[in-house]
Amino acid sequence: MELSESVMKGLQTLADPNVFDLKSYTIFTELVFDSLVSPRCESVLGHPELKYIDQTTLKHCHTAATTFILEGVKQNADKSTISSCLEDARFQIERVDLLYTSLQKNKTNLEYLLSSIDTCPPHITDAAWRLEYCIKNSHLHKVNQPSYLISLNTERGGASSEINFSCTMEQLQDLVGKMKDAAKSLERASQS
Amino acid sequence: MEEVDRILIHSLRQAGTDIDEDVQSVKQFTSELIVEAVVRCLRVIDPALGNGLSHSLPPGMSARFRLGMSLAQACQDVGFKGEIGYQTFLYSNEPEIRSLFMFLVEKLPRESAEASDQPSGKSALLQRAIAAQIRAQLSVPWLPPSCRLPIHRKTQSSGPCHSFHAQPLSLPYSVKLSSRKQTKEVQEYWRNYLLPVTSQPSRHASVPASLLENHISELSAAQEWESEWNSQGLLSRLTPEEYRSRKKARLQKRIEEQLRAAAQPRPDAHGATRSTSDLAELLLSFGGVSTGGDVLTKGTRFTHTEKFTFTQEPEKAAQQMAAAASALPSSHQSEEDLKVQQEAELSALQQQLQQLSVQMEEVGGDIKQLTVSIQQVSDELQQKEVSNAEKENSVKMKRQTIDLLPDAEDNLLKLQTVVEASSKRVVHLASQWEKHRVPLIDEQRRLKELCSNRESESSRKLSEIKDLHDKIRQSAEEAKKKESLYKQLLTEYETLSKDVSRSAYTMRILEIVGNIKKQKEEITKILSDTKDLQKEINGLTGKLDRTFAVTDELVFKDAKKDESVRKSYKYLAALHENCTQLIQTIEDTGTILREIRDLEEQIETENGKRTVSNLEKILEDYKAIRQENSALAAKIREG
Repeated sequence: MELSESVMKGLQTLADPNVFDLKSYTIFTELVFDSLVSPRCESVLGHPELKYIDQTTLKHCHTAATTFILEGVKQNADKSTISSCLEDARFQIERVDLLYTSLQKNKTNLEYLLSSIDTCPPHITDAAWRLEYCIKNSHLHKVNQPSYLISLNTERGGASSEINFSCTMEQLQDLVGKMKDAAKSLERASQS
Repeated sequence: MEEVDRILIHSLRQAGTDIDEDVQSVKQFTSELIVEAVVRCLRVIDPALGNGLSHSLPPGMSARFRLGMSLAQACQDVGFKGEIGYQTFLYSNEPEIRSLFMFLVEKLPRESAEASDQPSGKSALLQRAIAAQIRAQLSVPWLPPSCRLPIHRKTQSSGPCHSFHAQPLSLPYSVKLSSRKQTKEVQEYWRNYLLPVTSQPSRHASVPASLLENHISELSAAQEWESEWNSQGLLSRLTPEEYRSRKKARLQKRIEEQLRAAAQPRPDAHGATRSTSDLAELLLSFGGVSTGGDVLTKGTRFTHTEKFTFTQEPEKAAQQMAAAASALPSSHQSEEDLKVQQEAELSALQQQLQQLSVQMEEVGGDIKQLTVSIQQVSDELQQKEVSNAEKENSVKMKRQTIDLLPDAEDNLLKLQTVVEASSKRVVHLASQWEKHRVPLIDEQRRLKELCSNRESESSRKLSEIKDLHDKIRQSAEEAKKKESLYKQLLTEYETLSKDVSRSAYTMRILEIVGNIKKQKEEITKILSDTKDLQKEINGLTGKLDRTFAVTDELVFKDAKKDESVRKSYKYLAALHENCTQLIQTIEDTGTILREIRDLEEQIETENGKRTVSNLEKILEDYKAIRQENSALAAKIREG
């Protein structure tokens, strides 16, 4: 895991027992995770236990720690990577363990947070169809063409909605064929 | 053969055939198993060929026959040279099947094995992880939202989504300056007012995006700087700060030049004056920010004219304002009047503008002329002053000589002594100077040498440093690569099944090699024996020939004289002929015996193939097919 110089510096400050004693370190790491996970946390660094630390230092450490955590989750770093990174920043072993356990605790939430950076199309959960047969219209005496009224139930972010459209048989066949293709390529991708 | 069979069965299992544990040799293979194994191997070797074949034996005879024929065809397509037909699969005999399997196993592609040996790199790992994830998600059934458990949340209900939207963050540190150098106000801002980074973006969803982007940009900037410093910075022999400031100055100069070139006032475009004056302002401010406005103060004429037009601007504006104010009360006049008035005003103003610009140009020309004349005048002044000083000097000299004239002889002597003394002094001083000079020059040379030495040494060290940097980078990269490779291999090793005992294989191979060696030794022994025998035979025949020749000669000599000897000569010749015949016969017998043995072997192999029984079976098959066909025909007729 590559870290920039400023992040490294912040982590080194965080590791310094003269700046953060163990208690404030614990509180600080929890606050960092909270600030990342929970939507609004205005007074992140206003904890009474952290009052005696210089605010500038605190903010720098906060930036560094949040960046480090996000990078770690982004790269799905295992324990050895994280601990080697933190040991490079002169962390003591107990502090590494503390950070790692809270990281594990919050990992699903953080992954959720990162995976929400996405533009995913809605999920199709159900489909209903109706056959419509057009015998004639105002222009033609004899049309005699079937068409399908399709309604797809979709779901996106827990909210469901409907997509309605009508199509001719060829278009429907095309759609079905493409869906089959998609399913097949997904299958193939899972086997490679 | 056991070894071969075991290896064969193992390879067939790897190719995907389901072979029971208790099947230990090819002899125990049933027809179904053979067909399945062959089809699986064919599928691995050539998917296009193998996918058309079913790996289970159908019940109907004709279908079996067809499958057998197509299998045989496929095997021949792949390159099998031996005799093969549908009976090979249905009525197997061990050696044929074994040779077929050996051929197929040989043909099995090794790439799959090799690919797992080779490091497949990061992307392949990622691909595999993605495949595993897709597989896992595919295996989970879809659940309606109300039935979902929290574990399904990640894969099935993909929460609210946001696009990647990064916002610039204000950070409580500066990448360029150390925190001590920051002004007090900035530090105070950092301490008291700056929000923590997670609260800065307007939406919480863009926090991770902003943080990640910030980090990546810092990283890439650092990387870029490093590569530049290593390639160019080190050679310039400057400290990083100096190098940076020099680069900055260079860039600023270039930008300034470009801007100035673009901002040259064009006489034909009046509308451009406004923008050019803006540019000039920008240039001014630019110069103020940079190392000092000394670059700009040189371009005085340009800035002067610019300032001139710029200061005129407010006056003009004031005039216009006044005109507008005077026009305001009469706004209740008819619109046409207003329009006419406005037009008149406009034309008047334009005229004024033109006049002013013409005037300005004239004034500019005047200024130019005047500056040139000022320069000329000042040059002249300087020349005059210089000549004046010269003249004053000469006047002083002349006055002194005039003073000395009355007592010429005395003064001449005095002067001569003075001159002599001074020349002596000069010589003395020169010698002294020489004395001082020599060591000084030596010192200077020495120092120069030292300096050049140092320079060369420093350049050498620089190159060394560069090499070291390169080496460090290379080894770091290598280490990283190797580490990732090690990790990957470790995971692969963990996932590998451990049933294949490598040592057993090697043991077996070694045993086989030992056996082969022994056999080879025996063969060479036999060969040498045969060679010895051949040699002996050759020697004996040679001896015989020679003895015969000698006796023949002796007896022939005597035969002319003696009758009985002539008879014995005849006998000798007959004996010799008979003996050669005998030897010939023996040799013939030997070859015939060998032929017999070959033929016997051939018969054995033919017997081993059980041709007769196979033919009988084939005949039965033929009958069965005919029966089936007739039954089908009857059905058709009934239908």
